[in-house]
Amino acid sequence: MLDQILPWLLAGFLIVFAAGALRRIAMWRAGRPQKVDLIAGLLAMPRRYLVDLHHVVDRDKAMSHTHVATAGGFVASLLLVILVHGFGLDNVWLARALMLTTALMFIGALFVFRRRINPPSRLSKGPWMRLPKSLITFSVTFFIVTLPAAGILPDGFGSGVLAIILLAGIIFGSGEMLFGMGWGGPMKHAFAGALHLAFHRRPERFGGGRSTGLKAVNLDDESLGVAKPSDFKWNQLLGFDACVQCGRCEAMCPAFAAGQPLNPKKLIQDMVVGLAGGSDAKFAGSPYPGIEVGNASGGPDQTITEGLVAPETLWSCTTCRACVEECPMMIEHVDAIVDMRRFLTMEKGNTPNKGAETLENLIATDNPGGNDPGSRMHWAADQNLNLMSDVKAADVLFWVGDGAFDMRSQRILRAFVKIMKQAGVDFAVLGNEERDVGDVARRLGDDATFQSLAKHNIATMKKYGFKRIVTTDPHAFHCLNNEYGELGGDFEVLHHSTFINELLTTGALNVSAYKGGAVTYHDPCYLGRYNGEYDSPRALLKALGIDIAEMERSGFRSRCCGGGGGAPITDIPGEKRIADMRMEDASATGAELVAVGCQQCTAMLEGVVGGEGEPLPQVMDLAEIVVTHLVGEES
Amino acid sequence: MSQYDVLFQPLNINKLTIRNRIVSTAHAEVYATDGGMTTDRYVKYYEEKAKGGCGLCICGGSSVVAIDSPQSWWSSVNLSTDRIIPHFQNLADAVHKHGGKIMIQITHMGRRSRWDGENWPNLMSPSGIREPVHRATCKTIEVEEIWRVIADFAKAAVRAKEGGLDGVELSAVHQHMIDQFWSPRVNKRTDEWGGSFEGRMKFGMEVLKAVREAVGPDFVVGMRITGDEFHPDGLDHEEMKKIAAYYDATGMVDYFGVVGSGCDTHNTLANVIPNMSYPPEPFLHLASGIKAVVKVPVIHAQNIKDPNQAKRILEEGFVDFVGMTRAHIADPHFIAKIKMDQTDQIRQCVGANYCIDRQYMGLDVLCIQNAATSREYMGLPHIIEKTDGPVRNVVVIGGGPGGMEAARVAAERGHKVTLIEKAPELGGQITLAAKAPQRDQMAGITRWLAMELDRLGVDVRLNTAADADMIRGLNADVCILATGGTPFLSQNPEWGEEEGLVVSTWDILSGKVEPGKNVLVYDTICEFSGMSAADYLASKGSLVELVTDDIKPGVGIGGTTFPTYYRSLYEKEVIMTSDLMLEKVYREGDQLVALLENEYTGQQEERVVDQIVIENGIRPDEALYYELKEESRNKGQIDVETLFDIKPQPVLSESGDGMILWRLGDCVSQRNTHAAIYDALRLCMHL
Repeated sequence: MLDQILPWLLAGFLIVFAAGALRRIAMWRAGRPQKVDLIAGLLAMPRRYLVDLHHVVDRDKAMSHTHVATAGGFVASLLLVILVHGFGLDNVWLARALMLTTALMFIGALFVFRRRINPPSRLSKGPWMRLPKSLITFSVTFFIVTLPAAGILPDGFGSGVLAIILLAGIIFGSGEMLFGMGWGGPMKHAFAGALHLAFHRRPERFGGGRSTGLKAVNLDDESLGVAKPSDFKWNQLLGFDACVQCGRCEAMCPAFAAGQPLNPKKLIQDMVVGLAGGSDAKFAGSPYPGIEVGNASGGPDQTITEGLVAPETLWSCTTCRACVEECPMMIEHVDAIVDMRRFLTMEKGNTPNKGAETLENLIATDNPGGNDPGSRMHWAADQNLNLMSDVKAADVLFWVGDGAFDMRSQRILRAFVKIMKQAGVDFAVLGNEERDVGDVARRLGDDATFQSLAKHNIATMKKYGFKRIVTTDPHAFHCLNNEYGELGGDFEVLHHSTFINELLTTGALNVSAYKGGAVTYHDPCYLGRYNGEYDSPRALLKALGIDIAEMERSGFRSRCCGGGGGAPITDIPGEKRIADMRMEDASATGAELVAVGCQQCTAMLEGVVGGEGEPLPQVMDLAEIVVTHLVGEES
Repeated sequence: MSQYDVLFQPLNINKLTIRNRIVSTAHAEVYATDGGMTTDRYVKYYEEKAKGGCGLCICGGSSVVAIDSPQSWWSSVNLSTDRIIPHFQNLADAVHKHGGKIMIQITHMGRRSRWDGENWPNLMSPSGIREPVHRATCKTIEVEEIWRVIADFAKAAVRAKEGGLDGVELSAVHQHMIDQFWSPRVNKRTDEWGGSFEGRMKFGMEVLKAVREAVGPDFVVGMRITGDEFHPDGLDHEEMKKIAAYYDATGMVDYFGVVGSGCDTHNTLANVIPNMSYPPEPFLHLASGIKAVVKVPVIHAQNIKDPNQAKRILEEGFVDFVGMTRAHIADPHFIAKIKMDQTDQIRQCVGANYCIDRQYMGLDVLCIQNAATSREYMGLPHIIEKTDGPVRNVVVIGGGPGGMEAARVAAERGHKVTLIEKAPELGGQITLAAKAPQRDQMAGITRWLAMELDRLGVDVRLNTAADADMIRGLNADVCILATGGTPFLSQNPEWGEEEGLVVSTWDILSGKVEPGKNVLVYDTICEFSGMSAADYLASKGSLVELVTDDIKPGVGIGGTTFPTYYRSLYEKEVIMTSDLMLEKVYREGDQLVALLENEYTGQQEERVVDQIVIENGIRPDEALYYELKEESRNKGQIDVETLFDIKPQPVLSESGDGMILWRLGDCVSQRNTHAAIYDALRLCMHL
């Protein structure tokens, strides 16, 4: 009996899947156009899946193996099921292969099942709790159904009650796997995820390329930024649908940990609600801290911040990219958030707390603090620095940044100047011609101000000759290196840790051994995750004879200091401060000194007030540590 | 943006960029050795200020341009010889290395000096009028000498320039030769060098022209002037505005430094370096008045000690640069600490004027509270580094300035430190000193130390009288006794201490004994404590006679401080009597009779009073020391050779049993706050 029903049943499920898939594709296409290379993307997809994605998943070995078995087993089984049971190819070996793949899938599914027995809080529940059962049902059912075709049981096997049971299993299993895939069940991730990998908006990230996710806003557009889901680019919407709700982002998000109203997983799911229309009532994961689940609703053409996502959620993000780095589906949460901030800032003028003031300062004074632009060089009155306007050309353009206005940061700048002088580096600064690099404006959603600052800076820099730019500020580094190119500024940019390391390696600089207590190193997000520079700072500390006491969260998993993305300016309240948590991380290593490579991190971490008991470790920039260990005289 | 941004706005003087608005103004350091050369100590002293961030140092107060202006009395810098040039180069390099700028004040002091030494010159002045503060007689300067001195100024300025300094400041203040010519009080000439305004201005103008001619247009030439001499027959503020504008109009002066008050009497001299009895910036209005009439920047010092005060003065635009000279003597890292957001770690000048009062005695300038100042060349540190050696358990007994400094330094070295004080508060004798009228700022010395002890996590146990058993129980590696002493009233049994006939100045200042109505204060020490007790009693309404067997009450107090005591005591009608020894005290009814005897005639006289307060110094508190001495590893001894050489005590590197025991401060013998703090620093910096 099954023999007759199965082909039709399978065809039916495939048609239902196709209908669902087309409907889903239509939802994505409601987004704004974005050119992608369809063929090249599709061709690149398997490699992106097998290498890049697997690389992320593989950080959790058990889960990686589980997924390889289950997904690999399923994809192979489905193909074989279509051949063996759909087209009825009577081949014992094909059938035996199918048995093997369903067995593989079954083993994987058992591990999925085990993980769901006592799932960690980051995992979504709801339909996802059903998935292991569906997987097991699918694999077991098709294993049994294939026994006759494999010549292990007689052909007549599977009639009567057994046939009905097997039929139910097939319907249940295939329902999840095919109907669910097309119609928004957990298996949607496989279909959307594959296409998302193929048509990713930042394809350069595959293979380890570093780039910004933020594209310059066309300021002539009728509406700036993303107000409603359909304002996203179509492939962004596709990306949201790839989410597997594994909650790795949630586990890494500093704002979530601090009890601020942000959970990146929920945010992506709300975007899914928005693109499909409906409410968040079925969301079965952790809420945004402090905001109850079930009251949010939206649709493709409804304003997101009016009912679907609270503005506070968007302003809680530090843009640290911990979620992006951790996401096995390569979803770009941060860019989506900034896209929505752009609408709030540029269309609504609703940048909270000190945000509006900061942006006004940037417009009026070219720096976020509202300092007298003519005082940019006050910090260096005694440094005798070459000005580009005087010397016209130098090997290195030292991008000073707005640390020039801040006394704490000035110590870092002075230390770095001393290092360069000692090494005999031919460098010059822009002086009062320099303007804020635009980082804060861009992260706060004011792309108009970003673009105006960037264009001005590019024009200034193009007047002069230099081989490369060096800066002590990873935010400036990122903007200059990755975000100025789109506006016509292609420069070679180095972070000072890279540059100092180079000076040490070439022997231009000599240092003595560090003698103090234990040292840990805090990776700045915009240096590490954004630009992949994890090694230079460590090599530099090693050159001082320091054996770094690494924090549990370090390298690509470094926890943000809380200072990025304008978060200290928008200052959304939470239960804890991110910087406090980071200093706890540092203290836990027993370090007496936290080495940092970013003045914003320095400010945030130094701002932490210790309680009773052990004193907090000292916070110093790499340049400040190096400068106290210089050997020899200034050349 | 920092609250102190205004301090850190660079400003040019002529073409010289000064990195911030804080200046260490010219003061006589008394450090120039080898005939007035800026040698190692001098260089290191200014290098430390530059390292600490000071924008501009104007060194060498009253540095002489000619050999007939004596330099040896105050070891001032001698620019009358080319020998100074390489020394200046060392000085300039040391300051420039840290981004600072350095200029020197140059002068001919005219009558304001002493003739009885060095080359035994005839001092010179426009009209030969004697200078009272130095008891200096002088001749009337002749025209040939005038032109010679003008040429000496020019040659000296060239030496400063050749030495790499950034500028010179012509001293026309403190009654030096230029302002001796200016002031109708001492210039009575009728020739072209006196009489009319232009006549009185001529000498200074010729000096300025000659100097400018010699150094060229770009080298900084400034002038330090008074804002008002405060003498009815001297230069008043309006006259000084006229003078400033007159010189400014030449375009040859790059800045003016303005000082309130003349200083050729004891009383006006006290104004020049206002001690703690003055309000903040008492003469700012005079500098501001000058600023109103000149185009170039104006610098003003005088009682500006706090970053917030400096900020307010600059923000309100009274002057362009703030002189914080004593502030830098107390803490040469003043600017660095503002920049490090450590303003509460600044060791703030309290205006005790230990520095300047030593200078007027011809002694090297030292800070009452910072023993490292000007001892940088010996290796005494302003920033104390952690030890590489063993971490020791250090117990300090006594929370006066010496004990607190010892605890601070030991804690900075990274040791585990316990400080035990029997009183309910820290401070020791400083706490008493601060009780007197106009002396409350003394408490700043120990308040800073207390804040540092808190910051450094020193275990401070108050209300705890230490005994030998307690100390043994603390298992100290090093025990430092700084237990001070007690008033020495028992020296003469006839004073009747045992019978309770007399009380100490401590009893009075601490409030333990109520002031009497009619009080005799007998002061053999003639420093602060007796004067303070008399002032305190008078301020509470007592009728006070202050008697001493010395040559005058307060004779041990320096030139800028005894005048402010005198102002206060005379105003309150305190009678000050010299040359009488207290022989005996006895009771007569409910009154006390003091029998006094004139030291020189033997004549006796009596006073009938109801309270007798004696200041006879301190007897060291030695009991605890002798109890612990024998069992200590080093028998309580400090190796003075290594101590004076600023080297680690040998016992620290020797093995042995028992704790190391040292004592310092008044529990050894009575000296002063600086002595206690100096010993504490040089002993503990090597711990």
